[in-house]
Amino acid sequence: MMMGHGGPGRMLNTETSKPKHALATLARFWYYFKPYWFALVATVVLIVVSTVLQVVAPLLIGQAVDCYLLPHPEACWYATVQPNAEIAARTGALGWLTLILTLVFVIGSFMQGLAFYSMNWAGQYALRAIRKDTFDQIHRLSLGFYARNEAGNIMSRITSDTDTIQQVLGFALLSVVAGILQVVFTIIAMLAANVPYALISLTVVPAMAWATIYFSNQARKAFRATRQQMGSVNAGLQESIAGVREVQAFNREQESIEQFRRTNAANRDANVRAASYTSALNPVLEALGYVAIALVVVVGAMSALRNQPLFGTSVISLGTIVIFIQFVQRFNQPIQQIATLWTNLQSAVAGGERIFELLDEPPEIKDRPAARELPTIRGHVAFEQVCAEYLPGQPVLRGVDFVAQPGQVVAIVGPTGAGKSTIINMIPRFYDVSHGRVLIDGVDVREVTSASLRRQIGIVLQDSFLFADTVLHNIRYGRLEATDDEVIAAAKLASADGFIERLPQGYQTVLGERGSGLSQGQRQLIAIARAALANPRILILDEATSSVDTRTERLIQKAFDQLLQGRTSFVIAHRLSTIRNADLVLMVRDGQIVERGTHTELLAQRGAYYELYMSQFRREEEAEQHAAKE
Amino acid sequence: MQAQMNPGMGRATRQPAAPRGALLRAIGYLGDHRRNVAITYGTLALATFAQLMVPQIVQNMIDAVTESLAPNADPATGERVIWYAALLILLFAIMRGLFSFIQAFMSQKTSQDVAYDMRNAIFARIQRLSFSYYDQTQTGQLMIRATDDVERLRTFVAQGLVMAAQSFMLLFGALLMLIFTNWSLTLVMLPLLPIALALFMGFGKVAQPLFMAIQAKLATLNTILQENLAGMKVVKSFAREPHEVQRFDAAASDLMAQQLRVNRVFSFLFPVVFLVAQLGQAAILYFGGVQILNGTLNLGEYQKFSLFLIYVFFPLGQLGMIVSMMAQASASAKRIFEVLDAESEIRDMPGATALPPIRGHVEFRDVTFRYLGSGEPVLKQVSFVAQPGQTIALLGATGSGKTTIINLLPRFYDASEGSILIDGHDVRQVTIDSLRSQIGIVLQETNLFSGTIRENIAFGRPEASDAEIMAAAQAAAAHDFIMGFPDGYQTYVGERGITLSGGQKQRVAIARALLLDPRLLILDDSTSSVDLQTEYHIQQALDQLMRGRTSFVIAQRVSTVLSADQILVLDKGEIVAQGTHADLLENSPIYAEIYSSQLVDA
Repeated sequence: MMMGHGGPGRMLNTETSKPKHALATLARFWYYFKPYWFALVATVVLIVVSTVLQVVAPLLIGQAVDCYLLPHPEACWYATVQPNAEIAARTGALGWLTLILTLVFVIGSFMQGLAFYSMNWAGQYALRAIRKDTFDQIHRLSLGFYARNEAGNIMSRITSDTDTIQQVLGFALLSVVAGILQVVFTIIAMLAANVPYALISLTVVPAMAWATIYFSNQARKAFRATRQQMGSVNAGLQESIAGVREVQAFNREQESIEQFRRTNAANRDANVRAASYTSALNPVLEALGYVAIALVVVVGAMSALRNQPLFGTSVISLGTIVIFIQFVQRFNQPIQQIATLWTNLQSAVAGGERIFELLDEPPEIKDRPAARELPTIRGHVAFEQVCAEYLPGQPVLRGVDFVAQPGQVVAIVGPTGAGKSTIINMIPRFYDVSHGRVLIDGVDVREVTSASLRRQIGIVLQDSFLFADTVLHNIRYGRLEATDDEVIAAAKLASADGFIERLPQGYQTVLGERGSGLSQGQRQLIAIARAALANPRILILDEATSSVDTRTERLIQKAFDQLLQGRTSFVIAHRLSTIRNADLVLMVRDGQIVERGTHTELLAQRGAYYELYMSQFRREEEAEQHAAKE
Repeated sequence: MQAQMNPGMGRATRQPAAPRGALLRAIGYLGDHRRNVAITYGTLALATFAQLMVPQIVQNMIDAVTESLAPNADPATGERVIWYAALLILLFAIMRGLFSFIQAFMSQKTSQDVAYDMRNAIFARIQRLSFSYYDQTQTGQLMIRATDDVERLRTFVAQGLVMAAQSFMLLFGALLMLIFTNWSLTLVMLPLLPIALALFMGFGKVAQPLFMAIQAKLATLNTILQENLAGMKVVKSFAREPHEVQRFDAAASDLMAQQLRVNRVFSFLFPVVFLVAQLGQAAILYFGGVQILNGTLNLGEYQKFSLFLIYVFFPLGQLGMIVSMMAQASASAKRIFEVLDAESEIRDMPGATALPPIRGHVEFRDVTFRYLGSGEPVLKQVSFVAQPGQTIALLGATGSGKTTIINLLPRFYDASEGSILIDGHDVRQVTIDSLRSQIGIVLQETNLFSGTIRENIAFGRPEASDAEIMAAAQAAAAHDFIMGFPDGYQTYVGERGITLSGGQKQRVAIARALLLDPRLLILDDSTSSVDLQTEYHIQQALDQLMRGRTSFVIAQRVSTVLSADQILVLDKGEIVAQGTHADLLENSPIYAEIYSSQLVDA
C-alpha cells in the first residue's frame, strides 16, 4: 500500500525501464562522485557502524533477558552482576544496560544522520556536475542533431532523467545500502548466535527475493503500458484544448468527449492492471515475514520445551527466541524497503544511461584544434561547389556556387524544400559542407572559431525566439555590453520603439514564455532590433510571409530596409519589392542554383524565374500599378 | 507584471471555494464508488486486525514455553499451545496478506476510477467553455489541471486517506492492546507520544516551504534549459553559449544550495524521528524489566509490548506525511474545481428553437461588444446588412474589431448590446448547434486533429460519402497533394502521423468548411507561411469557396477587396466607411489610404 508508485502522472517523468549496461553506467556515475570520494567513504563507514549498532541493540536486549530478567547462565556472556544476585542489584545492572542501549541508539541515529548528510552532499555536487556537462553538451551539438531529435524530447529526457537520479541519489540509495547492510549483519549475528536456528529462520528469504523480482518485473512491464496510455491522454487533451475553437465551430463537442472517454478508460484500465502487481508485492513480503516469525517461535519453543538441542548445538533459550524474533523483524523491514525501492534504483541507472548517451553524442561541428579568430570582416562571401546533406546519401545542396560582394543584397527564391534555408545555414556554420567550401573574406568558415564567425553575422528568422525576460534584455541579447540608450536606439531603428512604449511597463515589460503576449510581427521587430544592436557585417533574413497584420508588416519592411544598409545581406525573399531591390537574385531548385542575376536580367531569360514571376508576382505588380493610377 | 501580460485563470471563473471545502468535495467523488470504498476500508480493518493479533499470539507462545518450563508443568500442553498458535499465525499471515492486497488493489482501483471521472468532467467542461474563457487561460495551465493536479488528488485518495485511516486504526488498536497488557508500563511511554507527534508535525511544517523553494528553483533551471533548446539558433547565432552556460551554472548552483539546506534539516530530523521510537524501546526495557523482576510482568507480555510499540510510533510518523500530502491535494482540488465550476456564458437560452435552414441574410443592429472585465468596448454601435450571397470584406488595423465581428456571428461571444439577426432570427434565440452547423469557418491558424485526412475533412459531417469528401478536397485544391501521399485520404496526420505544411493544412481546412456546404461563410484570407505557389492555390480555393454564399472575409488582399460586394472599413470598433471598392475610393480617404498602403498581395 505504501509503495512509491505514483501512477501515470509520475510515471511520465520517471521511466521505470531497465538499464542495459548497468555496470558501465555505474562506472560513469563514479566519475562524477570521484572528487567527493571522501564523503562517500565517510558515508560507508558511518553506515556500517550504525548498522552494526542496529544489530547490537537486540543482542543487548536478549542479554538483559538471559542475564538478569530470566537468568539463563549458559546464554549469558554480558554480565556485570551474577545472574542469581539480589533483585535490587539486578535492577541496577539492568539500568546500566538500558543506559548503554540508549547510548547505542543515540550514537546510531546520529551516525545515520551524518551518513545521510554526506551521501546527499556528494550526490548534490555530482548531480550539479552532471547537469553542467549536459548543458554544455546541448550547446556543443550542432543543429543537425536537433533536426534529427526533437527539442521537446531532449528536454523531457534531461529533466525527467536528472529528476529520477536526484530522487534516488539521496535517501533512497542510502536506504537500500543501509538495508542491505542491515540484512547482511543481521544474518551474520543470527549465524553467530546459532547456526541451525539461523538457517531455519532464513528459509523464507529466497521466497522473498523471488517475489520481489517477479512482481517488480511484472509491474515494470505494466507501467510501460500505462506510460503509453498516459501519452495518449495528454495528446488528446492537448489537441482538444488547442482545437477547441474548431470543435465548437463544427459542433463536435459530444463526439470529442466520447473519444476522450475511450482514451481515458484505456489509461485507467492499464493503471489498474499495473496496480494489481504493485499491490501484491508488499502483502506477500509481509505474509512471508509472519511465516518466518512462526517458524522461529515453533522451532525455538519445541527445542526449549523438549530440552532438545537443535541439530547438535545447544538447547534454544528463551532469550534466544526473543532475540531471533527481533532479528527476523529486523530483516523483514529492510527487505520490504529494498523491494519497494528496487524499481526506482533501476530507473535511475537507466536514466543515467540515457543522459550519458546524450553526453557521448559526438558534436559534428566543433572548432578545429588550430582554429583562429576570424578578424573583423568586410563581408565578402563565396560558396564554392557547396554540397550538403542532413542524412548521409540525401543531399540537400548539390554544388552551390556564388559570390556576394561586401554590401550586396542577395535574394534567394525558390519553392519550399529547394534548399534556401540550407544555404543560409551554411554561412554561420550551423551545418558543415559535405563537399566544397564556404569562404568569408577568403577564409574557410571551418578554419576559424565558431564564436568569432557567428558574432559577425546577424540572423532574423521568421518565427523569432524571445526569452522570458524583459524587452530590454531581449534586445540587449544582441550585444550584452550595450547601454540602455543603445538598446533604445536599436529599437527605434527597427521601428519597434512605438509598440514597446505602449506595453504596460515599456522596455521593462517581462515577456511570457517564448515572447508570448506579443504578436508574431512584434516578436520579429524585437528580433530585428536585437540583430541591429549586434551591428553585424553579414545579415541573414527570412522574410515573414505569415499572418502579420498589414501595419506591422510595413514596419517590418521598413526595419529590414534600415538594417540591410551597408551590410552583405542574404534574404529568403517572399516579396517582389525585396527581390527587385536585390543586387543578386538566386533562383534555387532541388538544391541547385538554376538561375542567377538581377530581377530584370532573370525576367529577360524567360526561364524558371520568369514562370514563378508570371504565376505569383504579376498580380502583385498589377495591383501596385492599379493603386498608383487611382 | 507577468499577470498583466498573461492573464491567468480565474477572471471568468466563479469565486473559488475554500481549500478545505474543495478537498471534501473531491473526496465526495468517492461517493460514486461506494461498494469499492466499503471493500477498501473493510479489508483495511481486517488486515489491521490481523496485524495486531500476531504479537498477541507470539506472546501466548512465549508464555506457553515459560509456563511449561516451570517445574512440574506438563510439556505436552505447552506443545499443543505452540502448534495451535503457529497455525493461527499462519492463518493471520494469509489473512493479512490477502486482505492488504485486496485493500491496496481496491484503493488503487477506486482512485483510478475517481481520476477517470474527474478527467472526463474536466474534458467535457473544457469542450464547452466559451472563447472568452480561452482568451484568459493558457493551454499549459489547463493541461496541468487535468494531469498533474488530478494525479496528486488521486494519490491522496489512493494513499493519503487510506494511510490516515490505517494510522488511526493501528495507533488506537495498539494503544488499547498496550493498556490491556500492562497499563502501568503504558503510562511510562505515554509522554513520548505527544513529543513524537509534535516532532512529526513540526517536521511536515518545516519540510513544506523547503520543498516548495526547491520546486521553484528547479522550475527556473528548467526554464533556462527549455529556452536554450527552443532558442538554440538564437543562442548559436549570437555566439552566446558562454553567457547561457554561466546563467545555467548559476541556477544549478542555486538549486544545489537549496538542496543542501534541505539536506541539513533532514539529516537532523530523520534520525531524531527514529530515535524517539528507539528511546521508547529502551524505556520499556528498563521499566518492563523492573516489572519482570518484581513478577508483575512476564516475558511474553514484554515481548508483545515491544512489538506493539512499533505499531504506535509507525503511524505517528505517517501522520506527518499525510498532513503534507493533504495540503498538496487541497491546492490541487481547488485548481480542478476552478475549471469544473467555470461557467460558459454562451448557452442555449431556455426555450431556444432550432434555426431553420437559412438563406444567408445577416443583420447587425447597433451591436456593441466589450470583453469581460474591461470597460472599453471593442465594437461600438455597429450596424449593417448583408444580403444572401454577398461577399463582405472587413478592413482595418489590428484591434479595429474585424475579428470580433466574425466571432459574434456563430455566437463565440455574445454581443454586450444590440442584436445580430440571421434571416431575421436573433442568434441568441436559436440553439447553438443549429446555428453553428450552418456556418462554415476557416480560421487563420488552422488546427487539424490526429486522424486520417479523410476524418479531418469530414470533421463537421462524419457521415459524408467518399465522393463528397473528394469533391470538397478538389474544390479546395487539396486533392492533388493528398493523392501524393502513399495512403492518400487514409494518410494519418498529427501526433503519430505525418506533419502537413501550413499551406496544406489550410487547404484541408477549406475542404472541411466546403463539405458543410454552409450558406454562411467566415474566413480570414491571410495565409500563413507558405511559398508563393501554394499561396496561389489557396487563393483559388478560397475564391471557389465563397461563390454563392454569404461570406465574411477579413481581407488582406487586393483581389478580395476588388471582388467584394460590400467593404466595411473599421477603425477603433466603429464602421467608418462602407460600400463597394469604387464608391469608397471616391468617397473615403481612409479607405484610399488603407488600400494603397496596407493591402498586400503576397
